Amino acid sequence: MFGFLKGLAVTISRLPKKKVTLQYPEVKPEWPERFRGIHEFIPERCIVCNQCARICPTSCISLSGTRGEDRKLRIDTYDINFEICILCDLCTEVCPTEAIKMTGEFELAAYSRDQLYKNMEWLYQNYLRHSGAKELEAGTGETGGPGEAGVGAAAGGGAASEQKAGGTDE
Amino acid sequence: MPFFQWVNDALTWGTLFRMLLGGIIVLLFLLGVVAYMLYFERKIIGWMQLRIGPNRVGPLGLFQSIADVLKLLAKEDIVPAQADRPLFLIAPIIAFVPSFVVIAAIPWTASHPFTADISVALLYYLALSSITILGIMLGGWASNNKYSLLGGMRSAAQMISYEIPLGMSLLGVILMAGSLNIVDIVEAQRRFMWFIIPQFLGFCVFIVAATAELNRTPFDLPEAESELVAGYHTEYSGFRFAFYMLAEYLYVFAISCLGAALFFGGWSGPLLPGWLWFAIKVSAFIFFFFWLRATMPRIRVDQLMTFSWKVLLPLALVNIVLTSVIKYWVNAG
Amino acid sequence: MAEIRTEEMLMNVGPQHPSTHGVLRLVVKLDGETIVDVDPVVGYLHRGTEKLAEDLQYTQIIPYTDRMDYLAAMLNNYALVHAVEEAMELQIPERAEYLRVIVMELNRIASHLLFIGAYLLDLGAMSPFLYVFQDRERILQLFNEICGARITYNYMRIGGVKWDAPPGWIEKVQQFVPHMRESIKMLHDLITGNEIFLNRVKGIGAYDAETAIAYSLSGINLRCTGYKWDLRRNRPYSIYDRFDFEIPVGKNGDCFDRYILHLEEMEQSLRIVEQACGQIPEGPVMGKVPKILRPPAGEYYSGIEGARGELGVYFVSDGKDKPYRLKFRRPSFVNLQLLPSLLKGQNMANLIAILGAVDIVLGEVDC
Repeated sequence: MFGFLKGLAVTISRLPKKKVTLQYPEVKPEWPERFRGIHEFIPERCIVCNQCARICPTSCISLSGTRGEDRKLRIDTYDINFEICILCDLCTEVCPTEAIKMTGEFELAAYSRDQLYKNMEWLYQNYLRHSGAKELEAGTGETGGPGEAGVGAAAGGGAASEQKAGGTDE
Repeated sequence: MPFFQWVNDALTWGTLFRMLLGGIIVLLFLLGVVAYMLYFERKIIGWMQLRIGPNRVGPLGLFQSIADVLKLLAKEDIVPAQADRPLFLIAPIIAFVPSFVVIAAIPWTASHPFTADISVALLYYLALSSITILGIMLGGWASNNKYSLLGGMRSAAQMISYEIPLGMSLLGVILMAGSLNIVDIVEAQRRFMWFIIPQFLGFCVFIVAATAELNRTPFDLPEAESELVAGYHTEYSGFRFAFYMLAEYLYVFAISCLGAALFFGGWSGPLLPGWLWFAIKVSAFIFFFFWLRATMPRIRVDQLMTFSWKVLLPLALVNIVLTSVIKYWVNAG
Repeated sequence: MAEIRTEEMLMNVGPQHPSTHGVLRLVVKLDGETIVDVDPVVGYLHRGTEKLAEDLQYTQIIPYTDRMDYLAAMLNNYALVHAVEEAMELQIPERAEYLRVIVMELNRIASHLLFIGAYLLDLGAMSPFLYVFQDRERILQLFNEICGARITYNYMRIGGVKWDAPPGWIEKVQQFVPHMRESIKMLHDLITGNEIFLNRVKGIGAYDAETAIAYSLSGINLRCTGYKWDLRRNRPYSIYDRFDFEIPVGKNGDCFDRYILHLEEMEQSLRIVEQACGQIPEGPVMGKVPKILRPPAGEYYSGIEGARGELGVYFVSDGKDKPYRLKFRRPSFVNLQLLPSLLKGQNMANLIAILGAVDIVLGEVDC
């Protein structure tokens, strides 16, 4: 008959409890290490194997490279279209050198669509803002700009040492 | 306060001015009450849901309601092309004016400069408050929107049905006090005891009927968001929408005042001044309505009608009969 | 007295309407508040997943399945990878199977929680919605830790799972189980006893098992009629035959049964999670799979018990690395077909109660 009284008791018992609201713009959420946010790209690690572009389910990655004098491929352009990127993480999974990784950044809103086209420079800057900064602090990452070579630095950095189960893909 | 004692004065320009001034003061006061009622509703429901509630505009979000009102006033007043223009424009005013006028019958303190000392105050309240239904129904009809129409029809049916048990539940109190004047009823409670105790059944009927009359959860069918989008005020925007909201919240305040005065001894109470006692009691009522809103799902429209006619009305009648028999028996014995 | 002319009113509920759970459109013919006829219009969220899949490798389809039933994406992931694994007869490491079961059952709880919140919101109660979100948030946080996303997990791979559980994750899940039991009790206190709620859902939208089977309903929509059918039991897949759990069934097939079954299934899912966390072995999480996945030519179907019913994946392979044709049997879409016949003769308020209890997700209906 008076089952609703129990409900009233539940609601009023919540009144003094601790609130769970996250004051978002001031307080950012804390993401776990594996969080899949906007990409970061380290040009000197890239060997232009094109695997990321091929595995991308939405074909949002486009890249081009040239063969240098030492017969090594160098990346020239690397663009990700975040209009259609679904942040599925398949590109970072197939990348053999961890040149493309994901960061904890998730705020992608922009005033115009062309701002969502991120080029290599932006993605590298994103790296400097995120893992790059961490690696510098830890002293394990490369110190120079994009001009200096450092392909074999995959072992450095917290995110890179993460255990990875991949191997399904090419 | 002799300045506001116009009741026995001749109607001169000076008296008229003082009357108007008094009215404006009360109106502004009520606007403040409504603004902070909205604020507390949002805060309390937020707290109950483990949220913070409004906290951006001003310290602790205290200016939130003011910002909302300003926003509504600044908005475009849209009249749908196919609406019945004159009715659409006038409906919110018809709904709002009675909600303000009924406040005149509420005695806030023992000495009440702004209260009309009407001998049939309860009748006056019930009669005027039913005019609001007209405004709501007209608004729903004039919008020429199907959701509005359904909402308007629902409110008309609901408010008319629940007015009867509401009136009946008050009859018990009237019988006990022997007067329709709210001031007399409060005085009677001071002599005897709070009417909540002898009139408990009447109070139960009153609180249910009042919630329904106010269109508040669990009886908020006219504006059932999940079914009717926004009910009768779907098409309203800007300050006309504000009028409806204002009317709704003024009624919450008015009914709470009525409940406090009729069942909880109005301004009477030890130690604290009368107006504070009254404010505390009214706040408790308002809090109860918010609490209900945080808990209850919505009742269904046919069950609502059934409940009114088959449960509340008989209960109210039983209450009247019991009260009269006991009163007769006590008086005789 | 002249006879009053009455006419039926055609009302468009949706696609923008607070309680059509997305972009479902119902063309409702009303006589007063009584529904004479309903015509659901679907397709506003159609993204052509099945067609797109024909041009994608099997691994690439997995992120697309996340977007179908976005409330239970783990189950969608699993439905696809399970179908491909069956077709290719792959061996899945034990630990991967356990991790899959844990995340799937957690996801089922999250999905059922949201059903309860949204259903009560439809019925006009606001608080349950926010309460269930807090518990769901904990589940999403767990998912975020294990796979880096909160809604679109893309966690499972053909042959295993993408990541192993991070250190301490299993313990966190184990701590979550008793917390969730408390929350279910709280939901019972808050909702199940409420007379207004009971009056609104008891006996509403009832149908019998025969109708349910005729309409090919599955999941809770079938079990609420008392018909015991759960693919986890009746056609065990993965490692579900190792766990001890019950299949709760209803009696009357009404909205109340559907509501209460969601709560009871959550309890059972918690039991599975608890057992799985206790039994989980160490080991690899990714089996031996060929670099390029080429299921042998043929037609394959495999169904799993999704959060809303039988979630089936049917695909035709012509021996290439992309499916020739892929079809998802989406339980929401199938369950929705019963709606018009349930709604006839009801009033507007019941429309919401019945539609809500069918528990559709528009991403899945339109796919």
